[in-house]
Amino acid sequence: MKRIKQIINNSDINRFRFYIQIAAFGLLIYGGYLAIDLGNHLPTFACTFVEKRGGACYLFGFQHQMNIPINQLFTGRGLGILTGLLTFFALFILLNKSWCGFLCPVGTLQDWITRLRIKCRVRYSTYSEGLFSRLKKIKYILLALLILLPLGISNSFAGLPRLPHDFSTPFCMICPGRTVLPIFSGDIGQLIVDFSSRTKMVLTGLGMVVTGLFFTGAFVKKRFFCLFCPMSALQYAFSKAAILKLKKDGAKCTRCGNCYRVCDVGIRDIAEDIVNTDITKDDCMMCFKCVAACPEEKCLRVTFIGVPVYESTEEGFYRRIEGRCDNGS
Amino acid sequence: MEAERLERLKKTTYLHLAMEAKETLKKIEEDFPDRLEAMEYFYNLFHRVYTEGTPLKINRKTIGIMCMQVPEELIYATGAIPVRLCSGAHAFDQVGAEFMPSKSCPLMKATMGMLYIDHALYRESLDMVVIPTTCDQKRKAGEFLEEMGFNIYTLEIPPTKDTEEARYYWQNSVKRFALMLQETTGQRITRKRMREAIKRLNSARQQYRRLFHLRTSSPSLIYGKDTFVITNAYFFDEIEKWTEALRSLNDELERRKKEGLFTGNRSAPRLLLTGSPPVFPNLKLPLLIEEAGGLIVADEVCSSSRLLYDAPVFDEANLYDMIPAIADRYLKPCTCPSFVPNNDRKRRLLEIARKFGVDGVVYQAYSGCQLYEMEQRSIARTLMDEGIPMLYIETDYSPEDVGQLSTRIEAFIESIRSRRRRQ
Repeated sequence: MKRIKQIINNSDINRFRFYIQIAAFGLLIYGGYLAIDLGNHLPTFACTFVEKRGGACYLFGFQHQMNIPINQLFTGRGLGILTGLLTFFALFILLNKSWCGFLCPVGTLQDWITRLRIKCRVRYSTYSEGLFSRLKKIKYILLALLILLPLGISNSFAGLPRLPHDFSTPFCMICPGRTVLPIFSGDIGQLIVDFSSRTKMVLTGLGMVVTGLFFTGAFVKKRFFCLFCPMSALQYAFSKAAILKLKKDGAKCTRCGNCYRVCDVGIRDIAEDIVNTDITKDDCMMCFKCVAACPEEKCLRVTFIGVPVYESTEEGFYRRIEGRCDNGS
Repeated sequence: MEAERLERLKKTTYLHLAMEAKETLKKIEEDFPDRLEAMEYFYNLFHRVYTEGTPLKINRKTIGIMCMQVPEELIYATGAIPVRLCSGAHAFDQVGAEFMPSKSCPLMKATMGMLYIDHALYRESLDMVVIPTTCDQKRKAGEFLEEMGFNIYTLEIPPTKDTEEARYYWQNSVKRFALMLQETTGQRITRKRMREAIKRLNSARQQYRRLFHLRTSSPSLIYGKDTFVITNAYFFDEIEKWTEALRSLNDELERRKKEGLFTGNRSAPRLLLTGSPPVFPNLKLPLLIEEAGGLIVADEVCSSSRLLYDAPVFDEANLYDMIPAIADRYLKPCTCPSFVPNNDRKRRLLEIARKFGVDGVVYQAYSGCQLYEMEQRSIARTLMDEGIPMLYIETDYSPEDVGQLSTRIEAFIESIRSRRRRQ
């Protein structure tokens, strides 16, 4: 048992993650060919617009369900929303935000773009902390909008006219997952501006702009889009209940900042917070690069139902960094 | 006239230095039982350099550095060799006292004195001297040295380390330093050379960490005085040789542990030394402590654990990320009192005290080192709150206060013993 633990802690989580990501990408984009269907409540961007997908993103159905008159919320339809949310919850708490770090196809795509940048030896760009913390709030606004806009189709708020039906899945219209992921199954049909109605024109136009930003953003900044992801915001609401956790022992921390340095989403608290033990923050995608970069024995730990599954160790740390110095990755 | 005087001064100083070093080495080697085999390498090294004055052969560019914040990886990546100049010699201290302000700290006076007469111990030349802007005395020393004809590089380091602004400022400062190094050495820093340098230093640090963890053993495996000899050797020894020597020492300690061979009295109070750095030959305080029956099982000083403990990590194996990564390693975990606030030092001390099962802390402050003198109060309070007794000692390199110090140290050790008996 001790030996197995040592092997796991000495391993390089990045390489493991790289292969898991490829497998998950294949499964979620091409799973349909093998008649795999993981359902429509996945807490990750398995896009509904991909024809042979192996499962579908919860947000698509969720937005549709939100197109509901308020007075029907407490009827059978409301129950549908609730069961949907519960299914989402059940799937989410299993893996917590690792859905983002290991399984999300849009996230994986961004990681591949980052790999390309590193190969090209192009420097990443840095931003001031203030700008960063302001930008991060956008995801909560997007989450609010993707609930409120569909609600506005069936309801009239404060005497305003109801919204047209084209607002039924507003976020999908601007999501880069919709435009980009179908390309992998040979469908470039989503890369268009739809002129059939004014709303569609605006939303798909915006979608094209976001797609452009997605590629440029992801090239200069790791996991650029994840900062604005409303799925991440929705997940964070349930994150404390999850059974996969990232824990930190503040007393062992020297605040060397190694964890922060390797963090793709720039979470500073991982290094600076020496008080909280449950260290998962809203932008965290649980890739566990921080655990691999920590040289202190058991300072950072990944636990599953309280059982440590991956821990920072000195031996593992030195092994990994030596390997990287040798092969230059 | 002047040249003749300098020549005479040089001669007498080296005589004094050799005597001082011999005396210290004699104490280190002979006053204690359980001489470790692998320590011979380190004892011999100090004999060669300090008492016999054998020049260290280096056919490469030599960069003199002060403090522990100069990124050594960069120096190695240019093919040059870093040499830590901070001196612990009373002989040099007396030379420096001639021209340094009377209230400056002995380490600074000794370092300046050494450079004044010799351009760094037994070394032909220094191609550059790098001084980080840590404390006032180090900062201003550069001006002095420039007048003496040294090629000085002032490495700007922020006075605080907690903000992102400070971090970026430091990263930029290190980048500038890297460019300057390339110019001085005529060697470009490449990705490959950088990776090799990181690996080289990491394996040295990994061995240091092994020793660090071995010292948690109770009963103890090694005297504190020996560990200072080891870490002081890191200042000037060839890094591969040093790493190998430490590896065999660690192996020996592990072997001894298995065989149940321990060092010192089993009931000896386990002490932690913090504050101003002990540098050979000034191992006055560690020797007094261990001669009085205490054991220094851990330290938190910039000539030892603070210098060697931390390890950098880069995220992308390109220079644009590796150089800032190295920069972070020398700033973020550093507990130098030149930083405000310095809560990390308190946390670090508590963690070491817990990990090593420490009975008490000895806080050394060189008179004239304002920063350590000032931080003493808050450190004492932090330790007191945790029920850890602390002895504060203000001293310098002169042997005059030895009698008074040993009385105080004996009393402190006795108080820890009686405290234990009561429990």
